[in-house]
Amino acid sequence: MEPILFTWNGNEVAAQPGDTVASALYRSGLRTFTYSYQHGRPRGLLCLTGSCPNCMVNVDGVPNVRGCTLPVRSGLSVLSQNQNVYRGFDSPAVKRFPAAPPLSESPHHYEHTYFQFDVVVVGGGPGGLEAALESASQGVQVAILEMEGALSGPASLAQKIQSHPEITTFLNCTCFGVYEGNLLGAVQINHAAPNTETLLHLRAGRVVVATGAYETQYLFAGNDLPGVMLSTAVLRLIHRHGIVPGKRAVLIGEAEPRAQFQAKLESAGVEVVGSVPIESVVRAEGADHVTGLVTDTVTYEADLVVMCGPLVSDVGLVASARGQAVSLAGAAVGEGITQRDYLLPQSAQSANAIACLCMDVTGQDVVETIAAGMGHVELIKRFTKLGKSACQGRMCQTAAIRLCSQITGQTLAQVGTTVARPPAPPVTLGALAGMRHHPVRRTPMHYQHERLGAVWMDMGEWKRPRYYGKGTPDDCVKEEYRAVRERAGVIDVSTLGKIEVKGPDAGRLLDLVFTHEFSTLPIGRIRYCVLCDELGTIVDDGTISRMDQQRYFVTTTTGNVDYVHQWLEWWTTAAGWKVTVSNLTAGLASMNLAGPLARSVLQKLTDCDLSSAAFPYMDWRQAFVAGVPATMMRIGFVGEMGWEIMVPAESGNHLWEQVLHAGAAVDLRPFGVEAQRVLRLEKKHIIVGVDTDALSNPYEAGMAWVAKLNKADFIGKVALSRLKQTPLDRMLVGFEIDGAAAPPDGSPVLVEDKPVGWATSVRYSWQKEKVIGMAWVTPAQAKGGSRITLRSDAVDYPAQVVEEVFYDPAGDRLKM
Amino acid sequence: MSFLLKCPNCGERSVYEFRFGGEIRKRPAPGAGHDAFLHYALYKRNVAGDQWEWWYHRGGCGEWFKANRNTLTNEVRQTLLPTDEAQPG
Repeated sequence: MEPILFTWNGNEVAAQPGDTVASALYRSGLRTFTYSYQHGRPRGLLCLTGSCPNCMVNVDGVPNVRGCTLPVRSGLSVLSQNQNVYRGFDSPAVKRFPAAPPLSESPHHYEHTYFQFDVVVVGGGPGGLEAALESASQGVQVAILEMEGALSGPASLAQKIQSHPEITTFLNCTCFGVYEGNLLGAVQINHAAPNTETLLHLRAGRVVVATGAYETQYLFAGNDLPGVMLSTAVLRLIHRHGIVPGKRAVLIGEAEPRAQFQAKLESAGVEVVGSVPIESVVRAEGADHVTGLVTDTVTYEADLVVMCGPLVSDVGLVASARGQAVSLAGAAVGEGITQRDYLLPQSAQSANAIACLCMDVTGQDVVETIAAGMGHVELIKRFTKLGKSACQGRMCQTAAIRLCSQITGQTLAQVGTTVARPPAPPVTLGALAGMRHHPVRRTPMHYQHERLGAVWMDMGEWKRPRYYGKGTPDDCVKEEYRAVRERAGVIDVSTLGKIEVKGPDAGRLLDLVFTHEFSTLPIGRIRYCVLCDELGTIVDDGTISRMDQQRYFVTTTTGNVDYVHQWLEWWTTAAGWKVTVSNLTAGLASMNLAGPLARSVLQKLTDCDLSSAAFPYMDWRQAFVAGVPATMMRIGFVGEMGWEIMVPAESGNHLWEQVLHAGAAVDLRPFGVEAQRVLRLEKKHIIVGVDTDALSNPYEAGMAWVAKLNKADFIGKVALSRLKQTPLDRMLVGFEIDGAAAPPDGSPVLVEDKPVGWATSVRYSWQKEKVIGMAWVTPAQAKGGSRITLRSDAVDYPAQVVEEVFYDPAGDRLKM
Repeated sequence: MSFLLKCPNCGERSVYEFRFGGEIRKRPAPGAGHDAFLHYALYKRNVAGDQWEWWYHRGGCGEWFKANRNTLTNEVRQTLLPTDEAQPG
């Protein structure tokens, strides 16, 4: 058989089949696995059940892996942890391991999965298996979550479980919390490379917690020395791994468990030189490994001190599942932390007795904290950090509560435990953050853009071409810009929201929700629309076309379509009106064909009369375009004569091809979002969410005309009426920069070195041959010609405010 | 937050399928004045206990409905379609 070889701090170590990282290292002779967090005390194996922090190592770049829970395999690179922290509290003679590597991106893969079961049993021990079988016999779907790599308990039971059709077993799976609605969070680790951590979201009809009981350590001087171990760990070393962890042992604990354990230890060939109750212990001796135990009457020489520590039921999950109906099974039903009473020795109060291994809190720290007036367990926890780290109080709570009880004279029940909250066992941030599947939306013309060499940008879930071509972004955008201004261009605007509103109350609804009046809009016409909230803040903008008496067509910005759709639905529902609101965005392809030659291009594809006399600006018509039934809207975001053409999504590809073909003679170009941003900026057309923020109202945005205050009612009317009479705090203005360089969007605006606002959009305008933009400034700077300064990365960009629209202020080109 | 909510159309689903629409409250009449609207827009009752709320089933049927939820325990006691006869008082 191939030997299993891995490395420990770069040195090769051989392991046996069945070894964990911790058992293999112990077998190789390693006794000190790490040094403690604050005092730099040597620490060795203690629990071997994944409960304590002593064998945490870095495995293949992943920190804080418990070596005793990770099955070893060839090729692992294991490094020691916690070598750098030394704060001068202890002997400087402590030997250090090499420094741990800096944290890098986790090599683990993370996933999320979702399940639903009638019953989820946490814990695959005897109690859990019985509970699972009992439930499954009633014909319901059962899941078992077991944190180790195999079910434990009687083999016959485990076999029945594995062959049972109603029972699903998740191994290496740790449940960290039970949440509202019986939702369990669990992490399942796949130890085979590549390491995958899967976060399971399990919805359970009923939860059974069968997490068993765990052994906790005693508190006495020297209790954290390597060689002082819990009886569970010693048994696991002997029975699972065939390692006899010492020659001469002393046992500490209550009489009965000691006697039982002594027999097991002696049959493994260990000489038991002493067996003492905890009250009599003075200290464990040794420098970097235990060499003996001193009691109040005897001194034992020993290389192994075994704590037959108190077993407490593991009910962390139950305690943290506040308000959820959770039942218990197996050993988890046993005695809790506050039920096991015993006396701690005097030395539990020494500075050499470690209560909290993770945080290096000593018995003396606890005593002093109580003496300072913080006798409540919650205060002890907060002040000393006891129980706040990796082991989540499993090793320290039992002893600390006893210490507190002995000092304050309270009963254990009066001392109580700290409030448990999930995660009960720790969970990696990577697993929680994990990878989720994000939908990507592609427009019907996506692959046309790809063929044309689109450079993509993300807009919410959508992919949109930023520009086309292989040249520098500036050159490509300039070409597209020139095509629209001088000839013709076409842009895919399928991502814009498209909502149909129809019914007897449709006009009434739009009058209420939008600031303009739409019930009076003639059929065939289009009007710009702004949606405000009740405070008069701009939420979205778009256009509304009246299709017939009871039917309207609303366009929204790309990001807000769901919001506007739900907003319209909500007002309809709340008012009890007869309106149907349908989101048609995915069902329609739309493109904007614009430029001085756009009419000649489009006329080749349709019989519809496109002359301004027959089809004026802000009108819509329905006709066949390239043989496809289409709606054409004559609107002009980019400031040129243009049509937005909408066809069924499945015809989008065809129409796009036909438009490019018809435009070839005039050198029509497809243009992307970046060219569109420059074109619209020259027209000072705002983009909601870019030029406006979460507080902008129409008055300060320079759009007072959108608020129809003579309407009987609309959302935001009262606030806007008040705002109209209130002096403005700030205004959105245009500006030109003196030089040729452009600072980024969002740059602060200064006057006499004091901030007065910020620039929302800054672009080079080929029309003005200058850098132009829009910015929020105080009203004092709003007049044309006012001097302002933009600043970015300590570079100043002097500029002046321009009141007029940068391109075609009269809008003649829209109406050609 | 991971409780279950019973959509009147689709049945019990995870809360992640829904959008919260806030407390159910009455919008002031058009002439009610600035203070009434300000109060309506900005001041919530913020009940610690049972309250009627709007919920929207965005991951399902797309219905706005009313739910009676305990804000302390997230227990949802009742859900109603806005067109149901029995409406919260």
